[in-house]
Amino acid sequence: MSEPLETVAELSAQLDSGVVSARALAERSFARLDALDPALHAFLFTRREAALAEAAESDARRARGQRRSALDGIPVALKDNIVQAGEPATCASRILEGYVSPFDATVVARLRAAGAVIVGRTNLDEFAMGSSTENSCAGPTRNPWDLARSPGGSSGGSAAAVAAGIVPAAFGSDTGGSIRQPAALCGVVGMKPTYGRVSRYGLVAFASSLDQIGPFAHSAADCALLLEAIAGHDPNDSTSLPEPAPSLTAALSGDVSGLTLGFLREADDTSGVAPGVRARVREAVAELERAGAKVREVSLPHTRFAIATYYLIATAEASSNLARYDGVRYGRRAADAAGSITELYERTRAEGFGPEVKRRILLGTYVLSAGYYDAYYKKAQQVRTLLRRDFDAAFEVCDAIVLPTTPETAFRLGEKSSDPLALYLADIFTVSANLAGLPGVSIPCGLDAGLPVGFQILGRPREDATVLRIADAYQRRTDHHRARPPR
Amino acid sequence: MSTDYEIVIGLEVHVQLRTRTKLFSSADVSYGDAPNHHVTAVCLALPGALPVLNGAAVELAARAAMVTHCKLHPHSVFARKHYFYPDLPKAYQISQYEEPLATGGWLEIETPEGGARRIGITRIHMEEDAGKSLHEAGDPETQVDLNRAGVPLVEIVSEPELRSAAEAGAYLRKLRQLLRWVEASDAEMEKGQLRCDANVSLRRRGETRLGTRTEIKNLNSFRFVEAAIRAEAARQAGVLDAGGRIQQATLGFDAERGRLFVMRLKENADDYRYFPDPDLVPLQLPEERIEKIRAALPELPGAREQRFQEGLGLAPADACTLVSSRGLADWFEAAARAHGNAKHVANWVLRDVLAALRERDAEVEALALAPAAFADLLRLVDEGRVTAKSARSLLAELLFSGGDPAALVRERGLEAVSDTGALEAAVEEALAANPQAVASFQAGDAKSLNFLMGQVMRRTGGKVDPARVRELLAQRLARP
Repeated sequence: MSEPLETVAELSAQLDSGVVSARALAERSFARLDALDPALHAFLFTRREAALAEAAESDARRARGQRRSALDGIPVALKDNIVQAGEPATCASRILEGYVSPFDATVVARLRAAGAVIVGRTNLDEFAMGSSTENSCAGPTRNPWDLARSPGGSSGGSAAAVAAGIVPAAFGSDTGGSIRQPAALCGVVGMKPTYGRVSRYGLVAFASSLDQIGPFAHSAADCALLLEAIAGHDPNDSTSLPEPAPSLTAALSGDVSGLTLGFLREADDTSGVAPGVRARVREAVAELERAGAKVREVSLPHTRFAIATYYLIATAEASSNLARYDGVRYGRRAADAAGSITELYERTRAEGFGPEVKRRILLGTYVLSAGYYDAYYKKAQQVRTLLRRDFDAAFEVCDAIVLPTTPETAFRLGEKSSDPLALYLADIFTVSANLAGLPGVSIPCGLDAGLPVGFQILGRPREDATVLRIADAYQRRTDHHRARPPR
Repeated sequence: MSTDYEIVIGLEVHVQLRTRTKLFSSADVSYGDAPNHHVTAVCLALPGALPVLNGAAVELAARAAMVTHCKLHPHSVFARKHYFYPDLPKAYQISQYEEPLATGGWLEIETPEGGARRIGITRIHMEEDAGKSLHEAGDPETQVDLNRAGVPLVEIVSEPELRSAAEAGAYLRKLRQLLRWVEASDAEMEKGQLRCDANVSLRRRGETRLGTRTEIKNLNSFRFVEAAIRAEAARQAGVLDAGGRIQQATLGFDAERGRLFVMRLKENADDYRYFPDPDLVPLQLPEERIEKIRAALPELPGAREQRFQEGLGLAPADACTLVSSRGLADWFEAAARAHGNAKHVANWVLRDVLAALRERDAEVEALALAPAAFADLLRLVDEGRVTAKSARSLLAELLFSGGDPAALVRERGLEAVSDTGALEAAVEEALAANPQAVASFQAGDAKSLNFLMGQVMRRTGGKVDPARVRELLAQRLARP
């Protein structure tokens, strides 16, 4: 089998020195995809011919000395909820079968402007609702570390594609942990930027106030590079931060002395955390302490309400965002619903949505209903404010908060699908960052029984650079991010 | 209808703001174009599309709030109102709910009895329009046109303080005048740019509680608004007189038959599941921006009317008519300034210009004649260089084709015979040719003077001021 595609930084240097061509990288990417993806099922769609042609154009640019950026000629993958003009965007849902987007997401436009070569679209839980990639109408993705296990989700396809070396980088979306959790379970780096740092224009909405696009890669340095390429204000997204993309790569000094890390008491105390996960996370904290960081305990008392709050807000917004899939204008339309418009809606949506999506639409509709709005949605927004204040207080005494990304390592496929609530509860360490709009990164910090453990670093809003600087400093001192799946 | 009921009316008026593009998308606002010609990813609610607020619409909505004396809120919030319908692509309408743009205003109307009354305005909020569902006769399928989807509107909600169909009509006309005046909306009802829902209830005179109301939807002409309210008040009175109870309902008005029909009965309140739109940030309208918008407002019709009365000495009714639209007021005022005698100009505008416009069913904007040229024409009359009659006959042509009045007068050979010598000669000729008439006049038959005047007019081709002819004849005949 062809060699795995390693870090963006290395490949970019190789392209610059001429040891390898973009065309060769794209071919290698597809060769690995052909060899591995039948078992992994990380990809829903590939764009082989277009990607190879774009890679050739990239080579021509380099030959003319017109390299667009460090990403020029680098193969990347997109989660199938980030739209690209002329390509399908199904969100792993039957309701969007046959749909082809007529426009580029801002992220896609920026990646193309940077010269990146998009090889294909990755699997996800339907409309990004789930943490296992099992809720895909196309079937689950498997974890490269153990094919019997889930890669996590909802961006499981993107995480698995990077872990398996099919692409050196991929993009996903994180609404309650959908980048960080699969990154942790697949042993790669996954970054959720500050809310508003990356444009959501062209990201198919799940929960608008929580959704954020971010990168997967093998290193924090790569994530900085990738995030730089896609971040910055976008006039097409009213919620995007007003400032241009900050320089992230320049912030990677390797130095954490003078920084204070807040070790989250609640995460360490939570009974559900597997002993192996707890041990690896404590080792990671100790390593950063040796690197010069101060460590102290912090507390976020309202995190015990985070899951409930998250599932009220996320489902409320989802019930609204998914109302447009009605069979009238595009996507699936129930074939035998000529009776009435109501019948058309009911049949289309009954056939088109999977059970988890239906569950969340029902929950969200209930949450927003007259008479329940104040008790649920409004209350949840109030708790969200309290949670933000918890973070504000914690960030008074520390520069970043460190905690496990997930309570456990990768679970077996099917193991949790019968118990949705158990799966919701596993989001305990990730949803708070979305509710507070904070940047967070998950980095590999070793193995537990042969499976990767994720170490999570959360920063103050807008301080994406600090989070990446800490992650990079850790990776300069350790080799956990170089561990690869057996095969 | 029994006379001991009081009608209680509140109006919800939807007004299309006069923007080039839609409220949340860059698609053009258009009227009458081919279906689905003006749609973007946002209008179609494609996956991944996001709304971006049109700043121009905010400014126009703020103007609407200012002319209705509403309090503009520096912070307002867009909310999603959910319902499924084929012409509502997102299955929610972006509107404002708990925190609207403006609240607590009023509008002064002239009541049919001749007094003035303030009608309270509850709130003004911004929202987007829906598309159109088209049902062709014989076609079981519904066609959807999304050109209108996303067009910016304000909804202006009055307090239930209108007391008759005529008052409702007066309120609407006043509202339309103000919105057009500040160019917030073209408010052309036949184009659906101003649509009205009327809430109607009855109560016994003296009762302070409100009766059960019905809502008449989508009234699109002043006449229909008044007719529908009259019909509904009569229907409710009949029900109450018979000892019945009014059922809360949404009604439609069949304008052709002048009849109401039930669209749906409201057993429970609709549940639109409003919540703040997370794709949009709250609308911030800082005090400085509000003041900037206010400072740019033109002089409003009330102030203008007062100035026409007090500054130009016009009669109240004339001043009122001249401010019925900003275009007319501007045109009149420019002509008055060019001419110098405002009352004289006002008389001509009110009589001749308005009649010409009415005849063509046109607005003042259709006039091709510059106000200064109009003043020139009046000056020709004043100076006796053209008769009022000739001027009037030229005016109809000049108003819609434009041109230089003096040149046209020359071209048509309509110069008045102002040369006294020529006029005196015509008089002598007429007298010499009609000795009998002269004799009858001198015998005391006053009518003979009219005959002699006609003879002089004929000899001058009518291009002479009749008053001047009468004066000359009288002088000549008085001489022995």
